Amino acid sequence: MTKIQVMLGLAAVALAGGLVLALNAPIDALQGEFSRIMHLHVPASWLAFLAFGVTAVASIMWRIRRTRAWDRRAAASAEIGVLFTALSLATGSLWGGAVWGTYWDWADPRIATTALMFFVYLGYLALRSASPDAESAAARSSILGIIAVVQVPLVYFSVNMFRSLHQGQSIRPDGATMPGGMLVAMLVNVGVFTLVYFALLAARTDVMRQEEAARALEPAAGEAVRPPRFDEVPDV
Amino acid sequence: MAIARLDDISLTIGSVPILRRVELELSEGERLGIAGPNGVGKTTLLMVLASLLPPTGGQGSVLGAALGTPDVLAIRPSIGLSGHDPALYDQLTLAENLDHVARLAGVASGAVDVVLDQVGLAEAADRKAAACSEGMRRRTDLARLLLIRPRLVLLDEAHAGLDADARIIVDEIGRRAVADGGAVVTVTHDADALRSQADRVVTMTGGMVRS
Amino acid sequence: MSFWGQVIEFARRDLVAERRTGEVVAIVMPFGAVALMTLPFALTIDSALLSRVGPAMFWVVSLLFAMQIALRHSAADRPEHRAMLSLLGIDPFARLIGRAASSSLLVGLFMAVMFPLMVVFYSPDLPPGWPSALLPAALAALGLSLVGTLAAEVTAGLSGRTMLAPLIVAPLAIPLLVGGSQALESLPDNGGILPWTLLVAATDLALAVAGAVVARPLEEAAR
Repeated sequence: MTKIQVMLGLAAVALAGGLVLALNAPIDALQGEFSRIMHLHVPASWLAFLAFGVTAVASIMWRIRRTRAWDRRAAASAEIGVLFTALSLATGSLWGGAVWGTYWDWADPRIATTALMFFVYLGYLALRSASPDAESAAARSSILGIIAVVQVPLVYFSVNMFRSLHQGQSIRPDGATMPGGMLVAMLVNVGVFTLVYFALLAARTDVMRQEEAARALEPAAGEAVRPPRFDEVPDV
Repeated sequence: MAIARLDDISLTIGSVPILRRVELELSEGERLGIAGPNGVGKTTLLMVLASLLPPTGGQGSVLGAALGTPDVLAIRPSIGLSGHDPALYDQLTLAENLDHVARLAGVASGAVDVVLDQVGLAEAADRKAAACSEGMRRRTDLARLLLIRPRLVLLDEAHAGLDADARIIVDEIGRRAVADGGAVVTVTHDADALRSQADRVVTMTGGMVRS
Repeated sequence: MSFWGQVIEFARRDLVAERRTGEVVAIVMPFGAVALMTLPFALTIDSALLSRVGPAMFWVVSLLFAMQIALRHSAADRPEHRAMLSLLGIDPFARLIGRAASSSLLVGLFMAVMFPLMVVFYSPDLPPGWPSALLPAALAALGLSLVGTLAAEVTAGLSGRTMLAPLIVAPLAIPLLVGGSQALESLPDNGGILPWTLLVAATDLALAVAGAVVARPLEEAAR
């Protein structure tokens, strides 16, 4: 078994454990069973922040070192971040629909800022795919990756800056705002998702590396050109 | 029989005269070269011969159809044009580009593999056109003419950017057209290149043709 | 090759090229979603008002972005392509219909993604039986593609065509927008949806007839 397969296996086991913990954790008295969505929504949001932060750091490192490895990390992390931002938005929407009676509330700055962050990083991925080659993609997207990360603190602190349906931070300097059992389950799942992130990052960057290596082995365009063969190849 | 005849042809675009009093006759089996510096109207003349631009003055006919009339629609499939820029779709592979032409022209799809092999691009058939060099793109465009086998072949700067091997392809296209009772017209700013390519060379200056 | 054979071949080629570039899925759709999101930021956050304007915003976004889909880079024919197709004896109306067909599928996909997003963002009060508005919506997708394709042909080769084309033909698409949006609004009235569906269908037919009439002159004008 390769190291990546081990990581993915451990992540899968951890996810299963986190799910069991979430299904057995205490529930909120008002929200009932719907509060269990928290154990998916909060870790997904955390993972998105982590992923986009890594994209920014990897983008800076690419600009300094100019190695393919840093660009692969930036791109792979952005892909994972987009995926988990979508998961965060979807679970948040379901949770909001069940608890607040509305699937989307424009008055909630965290929802709006998260959605904007999602589309900016979708644009990051679109920019990469539209670039003609790897170097061009790296050069352009590294700039966007560095600038776009400013949205992460904006999303995180939006609940403090604006009145919102969203609850404030659950863990503050003066202590946690939720019961111990619920908090433990949430924190464990945050840890589980962090493990999942690193496993996915390792797997995705490895796939990218293999794709680049395969492309490098392809003959150059000119090597596929042969002299004309009118004498050897008869007409149809 | 004349493949093409132009009598006192002129063409003005807006208020700018491009062609002036062009007299030209192209016979069956003839390879005609038209030489002239850039900007004298060579490409425009080629487009008139292709029936794609109707003249604004004079009379002309190509393959028996009067220019500037709906009759040209019937003879267009017998004309093949390879211009400055290869008519390839960037996102399609070389083979897919030719398959597309084969389907539209009613040519058997098996012919695509044959012509790509003949022009030396069999190993590049599955490369996207955008990922190919200019030389490969031009070879594919020429392969298109081998595929459709037109009676009148029109080549605009056909040798530009081609190596010696690729010029063999241009010669073969011309040879087949002549053997089929058709004709070839090559325009270029490089008069020397026409010496081995053309039976007759005319020059163009200021929109006019001189023998 | 028969007329319909040509239509299918052009649609097929366009869809293959689009699959390779991913322009619509990766760029146009996210941009459309962002456009749907911008109105709530511009309006005072008023849930009742947003609920009321949601379907209208969906149609405005669909109209404007259908133009962009019809003008997508992967579907653009350069002069050398046009010359080649003319010499192959291709019916320019077949090329136009084939292009409109591929654009219709993509516009339909775009609308299918934007509609649930609109429902989430705007929480409109959808009337009972709203799925029956899918037919006029599908017809509107076809009409938007036809008008977008005509716009692309009229502006072929011109600089600034991506802005010029919508400017020229967006007004022609208004019957489609009115028919599509009113079809949904009229659902509570018995039999109300039929006239609007017929309006959209009639507009589609008029656009198709216009395309048949102007296809060859447009081809000649583009040289």
